[in-house]
Formats: sequence, structure tokens, C-alpha cells
Amino acid sequence: MRTRMALMYSLLWRLLLILVHVNRALFSWLHVRIQSWKGRLWERAATVLLLPISLVGFPDFQNNLNHGPDANAKPITEKRTGGCRSRCLSDGKSLKKIPVHIGLLVAEEEPSYPDIANVVVWCMAVGISYVSVYDNHGVFQKNNSRLLEEIKRQQQDLMGVDGSMHSVEFLSSGSDQHQHNVVSCRPTVRVLSPDDGKQSIVHVAQQLCRSVENKERSFKDINVSMLDLLLRESKNIPDPELVVKFGPVNSTLGFLPWHIRLTEFISLPSHRNVSYEDLLGALQRYGACQQRLGQ
Amino acid sequence: MSWIKEGELSLLEKISANILKAGPMPKHVAFIMDGNRRFARKKNMERQEGHMQGFNKLAETLRWCKHLNIPEVTVYAFSIENFKRTKDEVDGLMELAKQKFERLLEEHENLEKHGVCVRVLGDLNMLPLDLQQLIAKAVFTTRNHNKCFVNVCFAYTSRYEITNAVREMAWGVEQGLIKGSDVSEALLSECLYSNNSPNPDLLIRTSGEVRLSDFLLWQTSHSCLVFQSVLWPEYSFWNLCEAILQYQLNHKSIQKARDLHREHQALQQLEADRACVVELLQHHGNGKPVDSQRRQEALLHYTACREERVRDFLEALKHKRDSFFSDLCSESLLA
Repeated sequence: MRTRMALMYSLLWRLLLILVHVNRALFSWLHVRIQSWKGRLWERAATVLLLPISLVGFPDFQNNLNHGPDANAKPITEKRTGGCRSRCLSDGKSLKKIPVHIGLLVAEEEPSYPDIANVVVWCMAVGISYVSVYDNHGVFQKNNSRLLEEIKRQQQDLMGVDGSMHSVEFLSSGSDQHQHNVVSCRPTVRVLSPDDGKQSIVHVAQQLCRSVENKERSFKDINVSMLDLLLRESKNIPDPELVVKFGPVNSTLGFLPWHIRLTEFISLPSHRNVSYEDLLGALQRYGACQQRLGQ
Repeated sequence: MSWIKEGELSLLEKISANILKAGPMPKHVAFIMDGNRRFARKKNMERQEGHMQGFNKLAETLRWCKHLNIPEVTVYAFSIENFKRTKDEVDGLMELAKQKFERLLEEHENLEKHGVCVRVLGDLNMLPLDLQQLIAKAVFTTRNHNKCFVNVCFAYTSRYEITNAVREMAWGVEQGLIKGSDVSEALLSECLYSNNSPNPDLLIRTSGEVRLSDFLLWQTSHSCLVFQSVLWPEYSFWNLCEAILQYQLNHKSIQKARDLHREHQALQQLEADRACVVELLQHHGNGKPVDSQRRQEALLHYTACREERVRDFLEALKHKRDSFFSDLCSESLLA
């Protein structure tokens, strides 16, 4: 009797998962339809129609649907130059706040370099000065020259060939960093991997312990600001105010644990064929976040 | 009000729980219990009342977790950043904490019956002494219970916790228990306040905020994060089920990422050991090249020694921490 019950519950559970996946697929399809047929009325109708079916709410996705970018936002179609740049800049200025450092966390297998390069270029065009790209396999790290190529290409396509404001500082672990001030005139693109996370903290810990071994300091001297300073000296990465996560996996997957203490996390379903409007929507949602900082 | 809410689930809740339990279940869930003050404003209550409701919701959540066979729960009760609040509010929270820990001690038989082990994680020396003593008594009294575990983060931030772990390792080095080269990711994890717990499988934050606010940043690097917009005092069994379902949907991919990370860690440890062995052999060698068998033996020997050093150090650390609590307990008895 008990095994029959267990079997029944197991089947019900599988059914539940199937329902959830169908629901997701439906929403995905709807999202694409909405993108191609801009209309607030259609959005509202669709949400209402599907609400009874979606008993297990997908708050993330619902939020995306409800807090989407302005209906007035015109999609960026194929390669347009010049006009795009000023459009992006004005979009950036109209945002309540933009992050100094935005982290692009790709939680998907087989990343698409052109799509990520697009997002990077849009981020810079909107006025974000430090853009980092991360995946937990370290794929971007291993192929960072390919990523740089794509970014350069997308930049030229989107912003015009004149590179005046667009000489980009491209950093990955292992490259020399002589800059100590975060806010440089040039936007910075940084490729990150899991080694920039816990392993960096461990290196600083080893550094401190070795200096204790050499009687250069006592363990009592070690405090939060010291650790923070040493981390900044070894890898000058500013704390990201915003991380946009691409993909269905709901985890930071090892992204900069020390740096993300106050980071806002906004999820997008995928980086493949992501649109400028998707990014703008995420930035608008970020603008609405209010931090009380403990108070 | 009590830490433990008795009572069974309703029929519908029971059925839903059984369906969920047919899939992978988290063994450790962490909660950022956010939204007490907004709840109080919404219901035109005093702030303090909002915090009280928040505590009641905690007790109820522990009951649901028990029925869902989730043996370990960690909650973010008070951040070091919260000391920035008005003196009135901070004093109110300290008073609430005192009441709750006193209540816990009164209920110790009930806690024993349910096998509840209460642990408090944080920089406890930032708290008023009488609260520290109460906490120490609560932790000490329940330390041998092992059916379910409740970890309360009080006067806690993740950065302070990580820094403390580094400080403890440096203490170990100063004491001559370990070497600087023994420091590794695994060792740091063992020095955190949460070292007696596995990493959380699921982290839930209520009230709609989408940040981690310096909570378990190290431990949740490969956890499922669920942000829910419900305010904490309004949290329901169905909200919990929704979060667990999210965990189940993410389970395979997160497991894969965790395994990848673990493999990478093991490789890094091996390389670190190899590097140390090479250095040692160069030091003690007489210029002659070392054959690979000798190198392999030296590596095994070095690894075994390192592991023994680390074991002794962790034993000493455990003793130091246990003494901290037992000293506070005996102080309060004398007082």
C-alpha cells in the first residue's frame, strides 16, 4: 500500500514538473509575441488569460512581463550607426540611476559571443563604465580574444567606425593592471571566472597568513577593511551594483562572493537573441530598487 | 510566543508536501526574513509588533520545514548593519531577542523532545553582555540535540564572517598549528561560523528585494536563490512550496555546477600540494634530480601531514569556540 502511495506521489510530482515546463514554454512564446506586437492591451489580456493556468506563479517572469520597457521604446533593428549612440545615451540619462559596474552572468551552456557582445556594447552606450562578463565554466576567460573581437565588431556596427569615445579597456585575469582608480575615462570590459571569486579571497588569506608566519603582523590586526583593501589591490574590481543573470539557473554560480553583498539581481530568460529593450527593462527595474543599507 | 508550533498540516497541505517530497528536497534552507516593518506599516501596527509577528512566522516556518523533512534552517535575524537603526529600534530588537532566548530556555524540555539544536552565528561580542549570556546558555543547552537545526544569524554579516575565518587561520599560523600554505578554500569554509552545517541548498528572501545583503555570501555561491515578493509576516506554506519547487527545477543544473566546482577545487589543492613538495625537495635535496616515484611518495606524505595539521588545528578551533560559550554560561551562573 505504501509503495503504491509513493508511486502515485512520484507520478503526481512528475506531472507537476511537466505542467510547470508547459507553462514556461507558453510564457516564452507569449513573450516573443509581445515583443513583436507592442501593445499594452495585448500584454494585459495575455497575462489575465494565462493567470488561471499559472497556479505556480513565476514571479520573475511575471515581473518581466509587467515591468517591461516603455511601450514607446522602439526596437533597435539592424546595423544603424550614429543615431543609435545618441539614442542609447539619452535612454541612459532618462534612467533613475545606472550602475557603475554591471555584471553579466551567463548561466547557460554554450554561450553566444555575438549576443553577449551586443549586451556589452549596449551597456557601454547607455553610460555604464564597467561591464563584466562571467560564466561558471570560465569559457569567456578561455576565449577572451574571441569575445574582444566580437565586441569590437558590434561596436563598429552599432556605433559607427569612429572610435572616439569608444576605446575600451579590456581586462581579463592575468592582464597587467596599473590602474588604481576605478573611474577611468574609458569604459572597461572585464572577463571574470570562478577563480576571481573564492580563490581570490583564499589568495589574500594566504598572503595575510604568510605575513603572520613571518612575524610581520599579528592575527589580531586582521579586519574587514584590510581584507577589502588587499582584494582591491590584487584584483581591482569594484562592487557590482547590478548583476543581470541570463538563463534559467537561479544561482550566482560562484560569481564574486565578496563583492555582491549589496548587488541587485535581475534575471532575463536567455542571452540568446536578447534585445536592447530587454536590457533597458532590466536597467529600469534596477532604477526602482531602493536600498536601506541596514537602516 | 513559543519557538515551536505544534500541529499537523491540513489535508491539502499534506498531499502537496507528499508530492514535493517525491522529488529532490533541500536539506538546508536559509531565509532572509525581510518585510516586518513594511507589514507593520501596512497593518497600522507598531514596528515592534511587526517584528513580533515576524518571530511567530519563524516558528510556523520551522513547523512546516519539519513536516517537509527539511532538517536545517538558517535565518538572518539581525545584521551588523542594523546597528545603524535608531537607538529605540535597536534596543527594542535586543529586548525581543532577550525575551525569545529566555523563552527558549524555558522550553528546553520541549526542544529536547523535538531534538532542536539552536546555534547562533555572528560577532556576538557586539551584543550586550546579558544577551550574550542568554545566547550562550541556549546554544550550550541544545548543543547535543540532533534531529533538527536552527541557525540564527545575529550581529552577522558575511564579510565579517569571512574575515573572522581568515583571522582564525592566522591565529592557527601564529600558534604554529598550521602553515600559511595550508590555507585553502576548504579550510576557510571550515573556519566560518557555519562550519557545522552543510551549505544551504536554497536561499529565500521575502518582501521583493533582490539582493543578498551580506548574508552567507560564501556558503550560497552554488545555492538556489528564490526571491519572493510576499512580506515575511505574511509568508504561507504555499510560498514555501513554490520556493521548493524552484529548487527542484534548478536541482540538476546546480548540482552539475557544484560538482564542477568541487573537481576544480580538488585539482587546485593537488597543484598547491605539488608546488609545496617541489619546494621542499629542492630545499632538502642536494641538487640531484628526483625520480617520479620519490616525488609521488613525497606528495602523499606531504598531503597526509597537511591533513593531520589541519585536523589538529580545527580541533583547537572547536575547543576555543566551545570555551567561549561555556565561559559565558559559567559567568552568568556566577552573576
